[in-house]
Amino acid sequence: MFITQTLRLACCLLPVMALIACSTTEPPLLRERTSAAVDFSGAWEVDFSQSENIRDSFDALLRELQRQVERQNRGMKQGGGSLSVNANSGASLYALARMAEVVTEPQLLNISQSMTDVTVKREGSFALDCEFHPGQLDRRDSPLGRELCGWDDHQLVFQLYLPDGLSVYHRMTLDPGGDRLHIATTLRSDQVSWPFNVDRVYRRYDPNSGGIRCKQTLSKGKVCTTERAPR
Amino acid sequence: MRALSLLLLVLALVGNTQADESGYLDVGVVVFDPGIPEDESTHSALEIFPRIREAEAQYLPVTLRRELVDSGEWGVVRVVPEAGPLSELTVEARMLESSGIRQRIQFTVRDATGRLWLSSQYALEFSDTAITASGIEEPYRNMYQQVAADLLSFRRGLDARSLSEIRQVALMRYAYSLSPEAFADYLATDATGRYQLQRLPAQGDSMIERVKRIRNQEYLFIDNVDEQYGELHDDMASTYRLWLQYDREQSLYSEDYEVRAASRDKQGPRGSFSAMQQSYNAYRNFRIQEQDLDELALGFNNELEPTIVETSGRVFRLTGTLDSQYTEWRGILREIFAIETGFPVNSSATKNFSDPNE
Repeated sequence: MFITQTLRLACCLLPVMALIACSTTEPPLLRERTSAAVDFSGAWEVDFSQSENIRDSFDALLRELQRQVERQNRGMKQGGGSLSVNANSGASLYALARMAEVVTEPQLLNISQSMTDVTVKREGSFALDCEFHPGQLDRRDSPLGRELCGWDDHQLVFQLYLPDGLSVYHRMTLDPGGDRLHIATTLRSDQVSWPFNVDRVYRRYDPNSGGIRCKQTLSKGKVCTTERAPR
Repeated sequence: MRALSLLLLVLALVGNTQADESGYLDVGVVVFDPGIPEDESTHSALEIFPRIREAEAQYLPVTLRRELVDSGEWGVVRVVPEAGPLSELTVEARMLESSGIRQRIQFTVRDATGRLWLSSQYALEFSDTAITASGIEEPYRNMYQQVAADLLSFRRGLDARSLSEIRQVALMRYAYSLSPEAFADYLATDATGRYQLQRLPAQGDSMIERVKRIRNQEYLFIDNVDEQYGELHDDMASTYRLWLQYDREQSLYSEDYEVRAASRDKQGPRGSFSAMQQSYNAYRNFRIQEQDLDELALGFNNELEPTIVETSGRVFRLTGTLDSQYTEWRGILREIFAIETGFPVNSSATKNFSDPNE
């Protein structure tokens, strides 16, 4: 957990800094592509040395908010405008950062992709899956939330809208060499005017390097073998 | 005691003779149409797992066949890979819905004359009584029993002459499929498209005797195919029933969870961590439940794929052999026909009486 005294102090200061009136970056519009642009298939693990942690992201956001407040103050001194303050924004931003920690918790991904769909299995969480339909985005509606996904050029984007004003975006990008996967996760709350971003970098790994291969069966559960896979 | 046994045997033989005369029809149950929409984007919404449907389409005909056999009211009942001129009564079915909640199937049954016996949707909810301490029984068995009962009811409404006509038309359609030149004049279709006999071959007609011998050969092939489907059914049975049970549990839980989670009291003010966490976790758990079913479907496929592939391969090889035998037999028949009658061998036919859908 990234809860520290520093953060607690920052949270106390945030209601003063957070601005309702500041611009909010709108979620990206997904383009309607018909087929897979990039193949993300494979097993991936978090590369912590290249990934942001929540604390860094939170600190960066604090600095940005500070700059924003200073700009606003200068603007007001030079002639007008009023500063809107939301007393709950600080606590909500802190809450958003904690949620980002929950959402980006999975450290292992297993991605299977075909010409028609992709499934991103995430250790300890639900899989992100997306079917590629010609001319339309894949959507999944339920009383508990709505998911949209599709291609934005060479990036795969998943959007999740939850009933209480929380939304989560994952933007997946494969680096040119194909051995690093970047997932930019953005959380938004309708109680906070700033989105919270966390960038995670994943590297490929071999889940069978231990010499054990497993497959799911219905009556026997997961069945594992040390036999080599047929070539 | 011995006299009583003898009497029972005689009665049984007399009964069988009467049944034969009154119409024990041979039935062909065609492998079901799995009813998988071509548009893959609809599969999730319709809760269709295509590979499971395809396996069910080979499994369920055997369930029906066994009900028909168990009734003791039919001739030979076979599961066949496709409709053809071999059967006196052909059962076709399209799967509309099949899950651990309910099963819904469209059945269409016609006899060899083209008379429609049945064209109805049958549906049944999963019966909890199918789940016993020792495992799970066939949960939709009552539906297949109903189909068998309806077929029997229809058959009992036909007189002996009609049943005899069905058998004769079936034989002549089969003969036509072997040698259109020799047998085209025996059949015609009326205004409603039903086949009618124009005349019958003479008693002891050598050509028709040859046709019967060839048909018996084909029966041997088809019996072998049918046996493969039976083995697949037995291999699949426990896994398939387990799948239905899991599917049912998952579906009921998901429905229940969705309602409970949507109506749950909020744990904090909007925008607070606890409120957002509650909202996110509810969605996460809901999706994990849904995806567990996908995992189970994968487990089903992993477990049965080798069996299904093996059976499909064997059936394919058998039907492939059958096709080549057909071609050979037809060639021989035509040559014999040409030698005996002096007519030229003519492979073109104006009507296809062998096509069950024509």
